[in-house]
Amino acid sequence: MVYSRDTELYRRDVKSRGREFTAEERETLLKPYLPPVPELLAPSKGSSRRSGVRKVKKRRQKPIRSFLKSKLHVVLYFAVHLVFGIYLRLRQTYHAVIDRILTLLYYHHRTPELIQKDVKNLSRLPEHLSVVLTLKGEEDGGLESLMEDVAELSAWCASIGIPLLSVYEKSGILKSNMRSLHSLVFQRLSSYFGASQTPSFRLHAPSYPSYPPSATTTPALLPTTSTETTPSATQPQRRRNINVLLLSSTDGRDTLVDLTRTLAEMSQSHKLHPRDITQDLIDAELSATTSISVSPPYQPASPTQMPTMPKNQETITTMSKEPDLLIIFGPYVKLDGYPPWQVRLTEIFCVGESGGGNSGRSGGRVEYQGFLRGLGMFAAAEMRFGR
Amino acid sequence: MSSRLRKWLLTSPPAEWAINQLRELLIGALRQGPVPRHIAFVMDGNRRFARDRRIESIEGHHLGFEALAKILEVCYKAGVTHVTVYAFSIENFKRSKYEVDALMDMAKVKLNQMCQHGDLLDRYGACIRVLGQRELVKPDVLKAVDKAVEMTSRNGNAVLNICFPYTSRDEITTAVRRTVDEWSQPLPERTGASPFKEDRIAQNIRKQNKKGNGNDTEGTYLSPPTSMLSPSSSTTSLSSNGDSLPDSRSSLSSSTTLHQSSSPPLFAADPKDALSIPSPEPTLPPLQQQQQQQQTSPPTYHPSPEAITPSTLTSHMFTADNPPLDLLVRTSSVHRLSDFMLWQCHQNTEIAFLDVLWPEFDLRTFLPVLWEWQWRQKKMRSENEDGKGRVQGRERSDSRIRADRKRTVKRLVGEALD
Repeated sequence: MVYSRDTELYRRDVKSRGREFTAEERETLLKPYLPPVPELLAPSKGSSRRSGVRKVKKRRQKPIRSFLKSKLHVVLYFAVHLVFGIYLRLRQTYHAVIDRILTLLYYHHRTPELIQKDVKNLSRLPEHLSVVLTLKGEEDGGLESLMEDVAELSAWCASIGIPLLSVYEKSGILKSNMRSLHSLVFQRLSSYFGASQTPSFRLHAPSYPSYPPSATTTPALLPTTSTETTPSATQPQRRRNINVLLLSSTDGRDTLVDLTRTLAEMSQSHKLHPRDITQDLIDAELSATTSISVSPPYQPASPTQMPTMPKNQETITTMSKEPDLLIIFGPYVKLDGYPPWQVRLTEIFCVGESGGGNSGRSGGRVEYQGFLRGLGMFAAAEMRFGR
Repeated sequence: MSSRLRKWLLTSPPAEWAINQLRELLIGALRQGPVPRHIAFVMDGNRRFARDRRIESIEGHHLGFEALAKILEVCYKAGVTHVTVYAFSIENFKRSKYEVDALMDMAKVKLNQMCQHGDLLDRYGACIRVLGQRELVKPDVLKAVDKAVEMTSRNGNAVLNICFPYTSRDEITTAVRRTVDEWSQPLPERTGASPFKEDRIAQNIRKQNKKGNGNDTEGTYLSPPTSMLSPSSSTTSLSSNGDSLPDSRSSLSSSTTLHQSSSPPLFAADPKDALSIPSPEPTLPPLQQQQQQQQTSPPTYHPSPEAITPSTLTSHMFTADNPPLDLLVRTSSVHRLSDFMLWQCHQNTEIAFLDVLWPEFDLRTFLPVLWEWQWRQKKMRSENEDGKGRVQGRERSDSRIRADRKRTVKRLVGEALD
C-alpha cells in the first residue's frame, strides 16, 4: 500500500508523461516500497555489503519475532476461514430461501402461455441458449434426472421460442441415450403444448446422426406432425420447432486436436501450407461440427415432405452459431471442459450455490427460476464488441 | 464535510500505518492456506470509471494501472507465481484512434520507466512476458516491449504475462499453426549407429520366450521381427539406428520401429525386457499402435499426427510453461470471457465476475475472492482425501498381504534349507 503523499507525487509525474522526475528521483520515491534485497544478490554487490552486515545482525534478533508472526498468521488464517465459512453458509441459506420464494412466485404450471408472460418484459432473448448440467450420483436420480432436466429445459425454450438449446454434460452419457431422451422430451413437449400443438423437435450431437433422422419420417411422429403441418402454417402463430444439441467434453479440446491432426496430415502430404491456417478456417471447420443441418441422405426418402423441407433447412442452418447465453446449473462458475472456441462472447450466468443445496459440489438442480434469472441477466447485459 | 473528514483521517500517517500493518497481516494469513499459482485478470471498467468520475478516459487507464500495481503486489506477496493480465485486445483497435494512441503511449512510457530501474526490477524477481500479435504493435512501442522483456528475462521467481494485442482465438489459431508446422517438418535422418542391434534383440526375445512362457506365445513374438526385417533396404537402414531414441516422434516415424515399440506391452511382465528395449511412446495406447501396425504404409519421415494430444496444443499456446490457470477475475460486472484465455480456463478454472470497476479493485475486493477459492479448494481436497484414504487403505492391505506372503515364503525356504 502506498502512502497518499507519494501517490500524489506519482500522479503528478504520470500527468507530465514521466517528465516531472528523473530516473533517480523516481527511485527514491519507490525505495520504501521495495521488497528486501534477496540474499543471492546482496553479497555480490560491493555497495550493499554494509547493508548485508546489518541484515545479519538483524536476523539474529529476529527468530522470536518471526516465529510469533507466523503463529499469528496461522491463527488469523483459521479465524478468517471460520468466519468466512459461516458467512458462506449464511449466504447459501439466504439464497436458498430467496430461491424457494422465487419458485413459489414463478411457476410455469406446464403452460407455455405463463412462461411467455414471464419473459414478456425482457428486451431480448438468446437465439442459442446453452446450459451446463452435471450428472448427479445414483442416489440423486443419476441419468434419469438428467434426462428429466433436459426435457424441462427444452419445453421452456420451446415455449419462449428459443430455437436452439445446447446441453453440455461432461461425460457424454446423453449422447448414448438419444433414443430414450427423444421420447421423453417428446412426451414432455406434448404435455406442455397439448398433443395437437406439439412443436417439432430434433436431437443433435456432433459426429452422431441426428435423431429422429428426418424431421417427419419417424413412425412415432408421423401421425401428429404430418396432420398438423398444414393447419399450423395457416395459423397466425407459426409452428414452433426446437433443436437440442448435445455436447460433451470430447467436443471441446479433443475436437480441436482432431482438427489439428487432420491439418497436420494434410500439410504432411503437401495439400496445405501452415500459412493457410487462419482463424476463419478454424472457425468454419469447428462450426461445421456443431452446425445443425437436415441430414441429406434421408431427404430423398420422403419426397412428400419436400415442400416443407427447404424452408426448414434454411432456418436451421442459420442457427448454428455460438451460444448467446450459457447458464451453468452449478454452485460456481467453472466451465469444466466446455468447448473453448465457442464461448468467446457468450454471456455466462451461474445459478449459484443454492441449486446444489448444502451438499455443495453435488451439482445444481435445474429450476425454472434459475432459468428465468439467467434470461433476465442476458437481457440486461450490453454488448460492446471491444469498443 | 464528513467524507472529507474521513478522508483526512484515513490519509493521516498513523491510520495509514495501521492499515498497512493490517494488510500485511491479512496477506501473511492468506499464505497459510492453498494459494492459486496462476491468476488471470481482465482489467475492465477503466473507461466507465472515468466517465462516472467525469475525468478523461486516459486518466481512468492510469488509475487502472495503479490498481494493477497494487494487485500485483498482493499477488506476489501472497505467493501467486504467475499473473496474466488482459491489457489490450485485438478488438480494441476498433476504439477511437485517440484512445488507442494514448494507451500505446502509456504502455511505452511505463515500460521505458521500468527499464530505467533495472536493478530495482531484479529485486522483485518478476519476469515480464508479452503475449499476443506482435505485428500489430507500432515499432517504437515494440522496442520498449522487447527491452523490458529482455531485461527481466533472467528473473525466475514470478511471471507477469501481459496480453498485449491478444485474443484467445488468435492464440489457439497460432498454436494450431505452429503444431502443424512442427509436424510437417521432415524428421532429420540421424547418423551414428545405435548401440542396440535388432537381430540381437530379436534373439533375446526368442530366448526369453523359450525360457518363460513356452511355445504358445512364440508365434506372436516371432512375427514382428520377420516383418521388421522385410521392408525395403532404405527402411531397415533407418530402423536399425532409429530404435534407440526415446523421442516419441522417431519411434512413430517409420513403420518398422513401430513394431518394436508395440512389443514391450506384450512381455512387460519381465522387467529385463522392458529395459533392454527403448521405452515406447507413452501417450499412445497399445490399441492405436496396433492399428498403425496394421497399416503397412510406406515409411514417411514425418511424425505421426496421431501423436498430437491436447497437451501438445497446450505446449504451443503462449502460456506454454505456466501452471494451469486457477482463477480468472473479471471486473465491472460483465459476465463474458471476451476472447480471453479460452483454452486455458475452460477446464478447472474458477471464474469470478465482480461488480467493481477495475480502478476500484483492491485488496478489499480481492480478498473475498481468494478466501472463497481457498475455501472451495480445502473442501475439494478433503473430499479427495476421503476418496484417496479409502484407496490407500486398500493398497495398504494389499501390501500387507504381499508382505505376509513374502514372510511365509522366506520361512518355508528357511525350513527347507534347514
